[in-house]
Amino acid sequence: MKILKLFLIIFFIFSFNHLKANNEIIKNKITKNLRCLICQGQSVYDSDSEFANSLKVLVDKKLNEGFSEKQIYSYFKDKYGEWILYDPKFNKNTYILWLLPILIFLIGGAIISKSFIIKKK
Amino acid sequence: MLYSVIGYYSLILGLCFGLIIIYFSVKNFQNYQLLDNKILSFTFLQFFFVVISFLCLILSFVLSDFSNETVFNNSHTTKPLFYKIAGTWGNHEGSLLLWLFVLTLFILIFLLRSKKQPTKYKILTLVFQQMIIIGFFVFLIKTSNPFNFLYPTPEEGLGLNPILQDPALAIHPPILYLGYVGTSIIFSSALAATSLNIINKSWASHIKKWVLISWIFLTLGILLGSIWAYYELGWGGFWFWDPVENVSLMPWLALTTLLHCILVLEKKLILTSWVIILSIATFTLSMCGTFLVRSGILNSVHTFANDPERGLFILIFLFCLIFLSLLIFFFFHKNNKNNFTSLFWLSKETSIIVNNWFMMYFLSVVLIGTVYPIFLDVLSSQKISVGPPFYHKLIIPFLIPFLLMMAVGPKLKWIKSNLKDKFYLIILLAISILLSFLIVKNFDTKFLLNTILISSSMYLFFITLRDFFIKIHNNISQNIAHFGFSLLILSILFNNLFSTEIIANLKVGETFQSENTKIVFESINQEKEKNYQSIIGNFSIHNSKGKIENMLPELRIYNQPNIVTSEADIKTTLMSDKFIVINLVQNQDYFNIRYQVKPFMIWIWLSVVLISFGGLMSFIKKEHEK
Repeated sequence: MKILKLFLIIFFIFSFNHLKANNEIIKNKITKNLRCLICQGQSVYDSDSEFANSLKVLVDKKLNEGFSEKQIYSYFKDKYGEWILYDPKFNKNTYILWLLPILIFLIGGAIISKSFIIKKK
Repeated sequence: MLYSVIGYYSLILGLCFGLIIIYFSVKNFQNYQLLDNKILSFTFLQFFFVVISFLCLILSFVLSDFSNETVFNNSHTTKPLFYKIAGTWGNHEGSLLLWLFVLTLFILIFLLRSKKQPTKYKILTLVFQQMIIIGFFVFLIKTSNPFNFLYPTPEEGLGLNPILQDPALAIHPPILYLGYVGTSIIFSSALAATSLNIINKSWASHIKKWVLISWIFLTLGILLGSIWAYYELGWGGFWFWDPVENVSLMPWLALTTLLHCILVLEKKLILTSWVIILSIATFTLSMCGTFLVRSGILNSVHTFANDPERGLFILIFLFCLIFLSLLIFFFFHKNNKNNFTSLFWLSKETSIIVNNWFMMYFLSVVLIGTVYPIFLDVLSSQKISVGPPFYHKLIIPFLIPFLLMMAVGPKLKWIKSNLKDKFYLIILLAISILLSFLIVKNFDTKFLLNTILISSSMYLFFITLRDFFIKIHNNISQNIAHFGFSLLILSILFNNLFSTEIIANLKVGETFQSENTKIVFESINQEKEKNYQSIIGNFSIHNSKGKIENMLPELRIYNQPNIVTSEADIKTTLMSDKFIVINLVQNQDYFNIRYQVKPFMIWIWLSVVLISFGGLMSFIKKEHEK
């Protein structure tokens, strides 16, 4: 375990040096998280429809204007509604979505440990 | 015309045979000796009529008989013969008929292959299976009859969706259905065994073959869909967390869990209730998949039939089946005393239970992610999308302990064991961490997560690889499957990390130059095929080493329906795929070009083949033992 912790610490130190990322990567990341509204279940990044292409240009423009990733998402959300975001935000609509799987995991763990780890003693 | 009539009445006859089988089985359940041969011939006749009906539909397609509504909606005279045949199941009605065909085929094989099983058990399985089959018959005849007449007979059909006009259409749906429908046998058999209270080691070892078969087909079916999406739909992607993909992944996860549980049940009489629940869940999920796809409430490339009435029917049918199975489970299932007390925490059972725990978690993520937006839409009419980021965030962190568990778990012995040769386990862990550190070192984003992920999958990779050489092979099939899984995760990770992409707008004759690649748009050609026109771009790609490669991406303009599709040109080598697509940009004289280099692409496919090969080995071994 000690070795593991040591490794983890080393990784953390290294990882801080790698936080920079350039515009192109951010652009790809953003367009991957936007739904192409006129396509059947495709992201803007994956699609080559006109709508998707215009959105790509728009994202580029916004990035050059100095918008941050979050601002761009909220810009699109205001314009097209939450449907366009592939990454649902954590809010009162989505508490269940985000937390239920984790809850299921915990309950599963509880059942398993109750069934035999405790009985073991 | 004639074939439609024959096909339709064959369906009705098939339905009648279903009812007759149930009637006879229930009536003569007590003196079952009499029944043994009769039910076999009845089942055979039922299968025979479904085959006739299926052949009639294929013939209607081949002959382009447009008095048949299904043919009219989905075919065209200029369509090549191959797609006329494969197009039979490229639509809602035909695919359901295929489903029915596989259902009746499987129950026939089941009866033939389980001669040694208790007769009562066989009959009950048949009865449950017939309930499903009758449900599908009624569904087919009532809401989606493939043999509806059209009068006056149209001159020409509407044509098949060009995206479906691909060789993969011929094999992807049938293989996927073999997997889906295989789970129905497991379902019926589990219910039958529960009612008779014979859930035991011998049942486990008998049903394991069916679990393996369905699992192999489901795995291959998903793989084929994925490959298809890669070259046809996806601009370089192979898994989109599209609802319909999720819907096929869910039964796969449940089935994989079941497969591992059956292994435990085969050795020790524990987890019986869990196995029954899983058997029910697997089939229910397959049915749910059908419901979600067919009802059209999902927004996906697969929804070629949207009809609320159909959705409602499947939903009601599904609820009846769930209700029935729960009834049987609670009334008949006598829980054998689960003596978990004898379990030591560091044993193979525990590791499989932990595997189940994680698999159920993955399943719940996929399930909730797929159905939650639907519920939210219905309840509060708010539309949200749940896409890849959601699944990645919830699944990837849990993948790490899962992979480690997968590496160490099979090393443990049944019941109780101390870890032997811990030494090499630790050494290999250190090597994996070091290696992945070196690989990821140069990358900017998500450095820590990537290193840990790659280390854990590499760990599994090394350990399974070592086992090929060292261990006396007592479980080579498991080893192959796990090795395949580690290879899969590794290839996906590397593919994600090292893929590069160039997007450019080019006219003919122009050149695009990036750091180490030069793309020259040499020329453009036009060709005319029977049912489409194609525009083929001729590109030469110069890489930094001065190597020149010629690539020919294509645009196809189909005549009926009038749709443009783009066909990627892919050059596959062992190390990487080169992938290029072109697209028309409206009112412009240039093309939108997308060029990608995707490393280890072929290894993703190969590793899935390896995983199912592991299953196949296990299956063959099982057959050998007999």
